[in-house]
Amino acid sequence: MTFIHSFQSEWLKTRRSLAAWLVIIGSFFIPAIMFAVRLVYHEKLEGDSIAPAFWETLFGNCWQPMAVLLLPMGVILSTSLIAQLEYRNNTWKQLHTTPQYFSIIFLAKFAVILTMMLQFLVLFFIGILLSGFVPHLLFGVALPQESIPWGYFMKQNAYFFIDCLPIIALQYLISLQFKNFLVPLGVGLGIMLASLISLEWKYCYWMPYTHCSLNFYAIKHIKGAIDPSVNYHAWALGYFVLFMVISFILYITQKQKG
Amino acid sequence: MNIIEATNITHYFSKKDKVLDGIHLSVKAGSIYGFLGPNGAGKTTTLRLILGLLRKQEGEILLFGKPFATHRTTSLRQIGSLIESPSLYGQLTAAENLQVWQKIYQCPKTRIQTVLDLVGLHNTGSKKTSQFSLGMKQRLAIAVALLHNPPLLILDEPSNGLDPSGIIEMRELLKMLNREHGITILISSHLLPEIEKLVTDIGIINNGKILFQGSLDELIQRQRQAATLVFETNNPTEALRMIQTQYHTASLLDGKIKLPNLDNTAIAQLNRQLVTQGIDVHGIAMIENDLETIFMHLTK
Repeated sequence: MTFIHSFQSEWLKTRRSLAAWLVIIGSFFIPAIMFAVRLVYHEKLEGDSIAPAFWETLFGNCWQPMAVLLLPMGVILSTSLIAQLEYRNNTWKQLHTTPQYFSIIFLAKFAVILTMMLQFLVLFFIGILLSGFVPHLLFGVALPQESIPWGYFMKQNAYFFIDCLPIIALQYLISLQFKNFLVPLGVGLGIMLASLISLEWKYCYWMPYTHCSLNFYAIKHIKGAIDPSVNYHAWALGYFVLFMVISFILYITQKQKG
Repeated sequence: MNIIEATNITHYFSKKDKVLDGIHLSVKAGSIYGFLGPNGAGKTTTLRLILGLLRKQEGEILLFGKPFATHRTTSLRQIGSLIESPSLYGQLTAAENLQVWQKIYQCPKTRIQTVLDLVGLHNTGSKKTSQFSLGMKQRLAIAVALLHNPPLLILDEPSNGLDPSGIIEMRELLKMLNREHGITILISSHLLPEIEKLVTDIGIINNGKILFQGSLDELIQRQRQAATLVFETNNPTEALRMIQTQYHTASLLDGKIKLPNLDNTAIAQLNRQLVTQGIDVHGIAMIENDLETIFMHLTK
């Protein structure tokens, strides 16, 4: 049994699921608002056309609510929903009686969540681009002169992806252990709130859900409370590995599987 | 050859809660094995242990002649299962549900239509399984179990929630699978009448212990042995006193004398003795317990 087959099977399960809809709606939500704002204040479009850092500003504006609040919330919800697919449909027992190693099941399911996260980042990025271009086309105003800073976008998207990994891993761990959907949701939102409160603390990067916000601070050049030399991306990766190892051990050693 | 051989299986849910006590289970290749017991007897726990859904604590489980613990994936490749309620993804159609498992088993895609035809769900189209009736869900769950054409089916109370015609349909389907495809079936139930027309072998479990294991014929033999002989006389008290000198277990109930079944010679001899003692014998009858009564006696 290969990982690919298991992944294909897991991916099929997300079809028409709430998690899949959440990714699509969530990724276009902020760009749609930005798009509407630019339509309403269309007199500013000409100024935007010649703005030297138009794309960086638009990117930062879109990421502001996303990084601090919506992305962590979306990740908490969608990760919990993926595991919940099995609990709600009573399918863990069927899945665990297929000829697959438990490690393959664990990794395939996690890979689906990561793929959905990538899907979100790609769609969100497309949404940002559309909200940047389309209002100019609709009002016949010249397109932004600044060429799209692909390297900057890719780098920042990669950072946001890395910074989300601890949230995904911890939510995955909790979701696999608890049948009740409210447990991962409640714990996730609780840690998220604690992380938001801790942002003014010098050691806020110790909190596993702060790293997206910290990356947003970096984009907007906001001076946070943490020492600028701290590599919070490395902290995010460290937490990710730690949570994944714990999650795997807990999953493998479950006495009852479904 | 035994496809399933479980020996000395003991399982605790907690230190004080022993749910299985030295279970022995042997399922012959090509048989339909009915695993019977009242609710809470330990049927589902046994099946979950066989399928590896519960971690084994004591005993040994051999599937297809090999230890399950070390041959888990190769064994599971040859098993189709339905444990308790159907496992289906509600937001997907019947075909999409089967596709989920087809990807894992890597069986031909044509099997999806084959099993849908087999369980009579070929016309469900784009209807999501969350909108299916319980009977339809149960049939689709059987289709999932059959998808990869396994030589062994393990079904835990598959007729739960089915109406009488659904139960008959399922029985016919399982008989056909066994007869025409040679599939061995282990099916659990808490109702004997539901499966006595289906199975070739029976195991009866209660309070975590196997009370009977053998062929259906052996159980029927036991049924005959458990028949009761009834004497009607004009003087039951005196007749009972006389009979009890030879058969201690004879008893008086509603003015009739009841004792375990005897062969014809012994019955004739007993009748002669009663008449010789001046007791009029009005009638001698043999009451056969049905299988249900035997089951109730065993699990009492």
